[in-house]
Formats: sequence, C-alpha cells, structure tokens
Amino acid sequence: MKSWRMKDIVVMAALAVVFGIVYLLFLPVNVVMMGLIGPIGTDIIFGVWFLVSIVAAYIIQKPGVALVSETIAGIVEVLIGSSVGPIIILSAIVQGLGAEAAFAITRYRSYHVLVLMGAGVGAAITSFIWGYFRGGFVALDPSYVVLMLVVRIISGAVISGLIGKAISEALAKTGTLTSFPLGKTYRHRKAG
Amino acid sequence: MHNINPSIKAGTVTLAAIVIAFLFDPLALLLYIGWTIAVTLLFGKVQIRKYLLYLLPFTLFAIGMLVSTLLFAKIPENPSVTQQFLFWDLPRETVQDALALAIRVFSYSTLSLLFVLTTDKVAFILSLIQQCRVSPKLAYGILAGYRFLPLLKDELTTIRSAHLIRGAKTNTSKFSRYKQYTIPLLASAIRKAERTAIAMESKGFTGERDRTFYRTYHTSWIDWIFAAVMLGAIVLCIIVSKSFQ
Repeated sequence: MKSWRMKDIVVMAALAVVFGIVYLLFLPVNVVMMGLIGPIGTDIIFGVWFLVSIVAAYIIQKPGVALVSETIAGIVEVLIGSSVGPIIILSAIVQGLGAEAAFAITRYRSYHVLVLMGAGVGAAITSFIWGYFRGGFVALDPSYVVLMLVVRIISGAVISGLIGKAISEALAKTGTLTSFPLGKTYRHRKAG
Repeated sequence: MHNINPSIKAGTVTLAAIVIAFLFDPLALLLYIGWTIAVTLLFGKVQIRKYLLYLLPFTLFAIGMLVSTLLFAKIPENPSVTQQFLFWDLPRETVQDALALAIRVFSYSTLSLLFVLTTDKVAFILSLIQQCRVSPKLAYGILAGYRFLPLLKDELTTIRSAHLIRGAKTNTSKFSRYKQYTIPLLASAIRKAERTAIAMESKGFTGERDRTFYRTYHTSWIDWIFAAVMLGAIVLCIIVSKSFQ
C-alpha cells in the first residue's frame, strides 16, 4: 500500500466505478440465467464479477491492487445503490483475495496470461466457498455442486482472465496507460 | 435511523447477514424479515411505495431461487414424506430447504435496503475513515472515483456522437458494439482519474492520517443499542419460532 501513488488509487477507483456499473448491469442477466437453467446459470457468467481485479492488477502491477480494486468496486456498488447491501463488500473482499493470491504466488513479477487466468480461478474458488455458506448450496445435490464449481472455475479463467487481458491490452494500445507498467511494456514492444 | 453511525450500521447489517447464512428455519427468518421491514419503515422515514419498488427485483430473484432449488435439490433422506406444494406433491425436505433459501435471499434484501435507504453515501465513506481507520488516501480516492459516475453518462453521449459524425458503423452486432464503447469509455475514465489525482496532490492533499475534517462522525451509545437490538432480534426470532414447533 505504501508504494501506491495517488494516481494509482484514483485510476483504480475509476476502473472500479466503470466495472461496478457493469457488475450491477449483470445482476438482472444473472436472474434470467438462473431462471432459465438453474443455479449453474450464475456460474457460467460469474467470471464477469472478477474482471476489475485482473484488469487493475495487470495495468498497475503492484501488490494489493487485485484485492483493493475489487473491494472498491464492491463499495461503489453499495454507493450506487445495489440493493444487495454492504455484504457485497465482504463478497468483493473474498473474491479479491482469491485473485490476489495468484499474483502473490509469482511475487508480483509475472503477469503472464496463465497468471491472469490463475487469478480468475483463485477468485472463482474463494467466491465459491463463500457462496457455499451464503447461498446455502448445502441444499443442492452434491454432484451438481461440483459441476457448479467446475463451471465457475472455467468462467473465472476465460471471462476474467482472457477477456480481462484483452481489455487491458486494448487500453494499452490507446496510449492512455503510458505512466503505468502495462503501458510501458507496450511502448517498449513497439519501439523494439 | 439516519443519524446512526454509518460504519456501525454497515457492520450490524453485515453481521446479521452472516448469522442468517447459518439459519435454516423458515419461520424465524420470516419473523426477522418482518422485524427488519418494520424498523426500516418506522424509524427510517422511508415511503412505503418507494420501499416496495426497491424490493421488487429481489422478490423476482427470490422466486427464481425457489424454483431452481426445487428443480435441482439433492435427493432427500426420506422421499416418501411428501407435502403438497401448489399443485405438486414434492418431498417435504426439498420443499422446506427451497423455501428457507428463497426466504433467506429475501431477508438479505430487506437488511440491505435498511442500510441503503437510510444512509448518506458520502457520510458512509467519511465514517469509514474516521471510525474504521481506512486510509484517507484510499477513501478520498474512492470518493473522487465515485464522482465520475455522472460524468460517465456524458462521456458515453460524446463517444456516441463522435462515432456518428465520423460515420462509424452503428448497425454492428451487440458484442462489437460493447467493444466500441467500453474501450474509449475506460480510456477517458483513466485519463480523467490521472488528472484528478494530480489536481488533488497539487492542492496539498497528502493523504496523511492526522488530517482534520469538516464533517466529523462519532459513535454514541445509541449506535451500540441499535447494533445490540438488531442482532438480539435474531435470537428472539429463533426462540419464538422454536416455541411454535
């Protein structure tokens, strides 16, 4: 946290605001998915809710960014008026911890696509454990619960890992990220 | 309600939601829902019509939860014990689990509304700094980011007009349209954030903890009584529900 510049924090917050809106927009999608194919519908699109962790961590590349950006997104959701309430902040912290763990394992040195996907998987696992208690998955058929977990892990890897990477790199191409690590590596790549 | 310390209110609601996560007794949950709604409407000065409007999406969500749990429930231990539910005969255990889950979702919503409808957003962030020792640097960063919200809407209009005037294709698929808007929107948000951060620092914002506040928030015994009453009510609901069975 000490190494964060003011710029890092406000950019993180701005990303969190944009993704906070995206998260809220996906809540009704979630209800439709659930209505159509049951609780597993949620898991198919669950990766969307980890996006900010991966995007912010990949852009800023500092310890703690994955956790804090997701937490801010949770706070922003409460501020906008998510009726899920303050508990969404706790859910966000749990997801952020999972994503953060993947980056911590590499000691914040590698932002390879596999690490980004790993962060999505980490968030999927921690959020699933949290959801198990909160959502009362105990009441569901155990084999169905395992299937839900597998689908959520895939969703975390693909939606948040791969799409998150694509979004960050598309942003780097616009040249707005020149004062951030991701933008710098892009400039070098161009020059070289 | 509006005067209760926002941090304590948030903490209480969150704690209550965690306790409820371990509660499977439908009657106790129903009692607690009634209690939460009563507290919100009586002490929160919330209009009933507004309240119902907010509650509507959650009702739909709860119904979705009910249906999906009924369809995908685990195999009950004694499937022969059935219960009539609407038109079908279903295993009693399944029906009870499904009802409890749906009611639980519903009780989360009432708890959340209790917080959301009676709390000033800026007060919540300021109280997080003052009571929960959140770093001012982080908290004011969040507030600055939050202020971008109305600007984003203008930005979207700008991007749309820019696309139009330059003759960009607008009749593309939904997915590529998302891409068309998301990247410029994010890029402009990041640029704005950078400028804001520089402006904050140039005006002497250091983000140190020993700053002073124009608006201060304190905790008093009323806050703690609120917390105790809200959490105590859960225990009471469980006891009342047990005495009925």
